[in-house]
Amino acid sequence: MSINDEFDKKQIRTPLHYIFQIFKKKVAAIIAVWIICTFLFIIIFADFIVSHSPSEQNMNALLLPPYWLKGGNTAYLLGTDELGRDNFSRLIMGIQRTLAGALIITAVVSFFGLILGALASSLKNFKASILHHLLDSLLTIPILLTALIFIVIFGSSFQNCLYAIAISLLPQFIRSIFLSIETEMAKPYIVALKIDSMSDLQLVKNVIYPNILEPLVTIINRVFTMAIIEITTLGFLGFGVQTKGTELGAIIANNFEFMYLSPILVLAPGITLFIIIFSFNVVAEGIRHAIIEAEQ
Amino acid sequence: MLNYIMRRLGLFISTAFILTLIAYALHYWLNQSHSQPIINGYITYMIQILKGNWGISIIDHQPILAKGLKSLASTLELSIFAFIGALTLAIPLGIIAGIYRNGQIDYLIMSTAIIALALPVFWVAIMMPTVSNIFHLTLPIDGQISPIYEVKNVTGFMLIDSLFTTGTYHFEAFYSRVRHLILPSIVLSLFIFAETIRLTRHSISMVMKSNYINAAYSKGLSTVQILRSHVFKNIYPSIIHDLRSNLSTLFSFAMTVDIVFKSKGSGQWLLTSIHEGDYIVLPTAILIIGGFILLSSILIDILLMLTSPTKRITLYVD
Repeated sequence: MSINDEFDKKQIRTPLHYIFQIFKKKVAAIIAVWIICTFLFIIIFADFIVSHSPSEQNMNALLLPPYWLKGGNTAYLLGTDELGRDNFSRLIMGIQRTLAGALIITAVVSFFGLILGALASSLKNFKASILHHLLDSLLTIPILLTALIFIVIFGSSFQNCLYAIAISLLPQFIRSIFLSIETEMAKPYIVALKIDSMSDLQLVKNVIYPNILEPLVTIINRVFTMAIIEITTLGFLGFGVQTKGTELGAIIANNFEFMYLSPILVLAPGITLFIIIFSFNVVAEGIRHAIIEAEQ
Repeated sequence: MLNYIMRRLGLFISTAFILTLIAYALHYWLNQSHSQPIINGYITYMIQILKGNWGISIIDHQPILAKGLKSLASTLELSIFAFIGALTLAIPLGIIAGIYRNGQIDYLIMSTAIIALALPVFWVAIMMPTVSNIFHLTLPIDGQISPIYEVKNVTGFMLIDSLFTTGTYHFEAFYSRVRHLILPSIVLSLFIFAETIRLTRHSISMVMKSNYINAAYSKGLSTVQILRSHVFKNIYPSIIHDLRSNLSTLFSFAMTVDIVFKSKGSGQWLLTSIHEGDYIVLPTAILIIGGFILLSSILIDILLMLTSPTKRITLYVD
C-alpha cells in the first residue's frame, strides 16, 4: 500500500504519528492514559468536586468510617478524620496540590535540563571538565539532603519545597541528558553531518533530540516519579505544611496516629499516590516500547 | 593500570574539593558573623576539618563528626542488609525475565518490578507494622536495638559491636539487632529489587542477541551452561555500574526509611538536628554523606576495572 494514499485513513504522516499508531494498540497504556486524564480533570476542577472545605470541622462526626461501612454517612464519602474534616475533600485537594506540583517541577526541570544538557554537550576542554566535576560532586549529595538544605535556606513552605526539589533534581537530569546526547554524538551519521558543516546547535535541535526520544521518555518519567515522591516525603516530614492547604504526604503524616482506629485515613492517600505513580510509569513504558517498535 | 588509578584519584580529589567548597559556602551562609575574608575563612575552615574539629552539636554537646559517622554506619547496615536481600531475589528473576523476553513470565516479573517502583517508600514504611501483623510476625517496628542491651560503641556498626557483648548476653544482643533490621530493610529493598530486575533484564536481553551466544548455542551448549560461562560475566559490570549511579537516590530512600523506623540513622540525625535548629549539621552531612558516596563510587569503578576485561578497554584507549 502506498504511504501517500490520500484515501487511506491509516496513512503514516510523521514518525510521531507512526509511534502514536503503535501506542494506541497497547491496552494497559491506554487505560493508564485515561486514569491520568481523570487525575488531570481532578486537578482542574477540584474546587467544584469537593463537597466540604478541606479545613471545615464537624465535631459531631469524628473519625467516621467510609460510607459503605456500618456507621458511615453518605455526606462523607470516605469518612472523616480526628477533627471531623471530610477525607474525600482533603484527598481531592491533596491530589490537586501534589500532582500539580510534581507536573510543574517536571516541566520546569525538563525545560531547563534540555537546554543545559545541550549546552553541556557543546562545551569543550576546560569548561567541560569544570562542569563535569561540578555535576559529579552535586550528584554525590542525595536528593533528600539537597532538598532539606534548600528548605533551610529558603524557609519552609509548600512553594519553597517545590523550588528545593526542582533544584535538587536538575543535576541528575542534566547528566542523564548529557550521557544520551554523548552516545548519539558518537554515531557515524552524526560525524557525516558534522563534516557537512552542520552547527552543534542545529545538530542537537534537528537530529539528536528526535533520535533520543526513547531515553528522554525514561529520564522525564524518572524526574516525575522522584518529584512526586520527594514532594510527599517532604510533606510527610512536616516541611511545607500550610494551615489552609493540604498535600498527600502531609495528610498521611497527620492521619498516621489514627491509622488503627480508621485505616482508610492512611490507605486512601497512599493508594492514590501509588495509582498516580504507577499509571505514569505504565504510560512511559508504553511510549518507550512504541518508540522501540517504531524504530525497528 | 597505575595511570588509571592515578586518574581516578585525581577525579576524587577534585570532586572532593568542590564538595568542600559547597560545604564551606553553606557554612559561611549559616554563620552570620564574618570576621575573616572568604578565602582566609575557607583555609581556616579546611584546617579545622582536617584536624577533626567539625564543631559541637548544640543539642547534646557531642562532637558532630562522631555523631554523623555513627548515624552513617547505622544507615549503611540497613542498606547492606537491603542490598543482600534484594539482589538474591532480583538477579535470578531478572535473568528469567530477560531470557523469556515478552513471554507471560516476563510480563509478570516486570509488572511486579513496576509496582515495587511505584510504591512510595515512606508509605510502605508506615504500613509495614500492619502488614507484618497480618502475617502474625512479631518484629520490632522502631529503634536500633532493644534498650535492655547495653552495647559499647567500638566500630560504630551496631551489628559488629553487639558481637563484642557475647560475654554478657551471648548472642541475644546480636539477634535483637538483626530483628530490628528486618522490617526497614524489606522496605528499602523494594526499590533495589525493582531497579535490579530492570537492569538485569535489559542487559541480559542485550547480551542474548549477540553473535557469540548464537555461536555457543550452535556448539550445543545448554542455556544454563551459556548463562554460567558466557552471559553472567558479560552482564555483571553493567549492572553494578548502573546500581553505582543510583547510590545517591538509594541513600535518599534509606534516609526516609530510617526516619520512619526511628533507627538512629543519617535521616533521623539530620531531621532532629534541623527541627532543633542545629543547622551546622548540614555542611557536615554534605561532607560525610557526599564523601562516602564519592569514595564508594570510585572504589566500585576501580574494582570493576580490575575484574572485568570490557571495562579495561579504557586503559588502552588513552
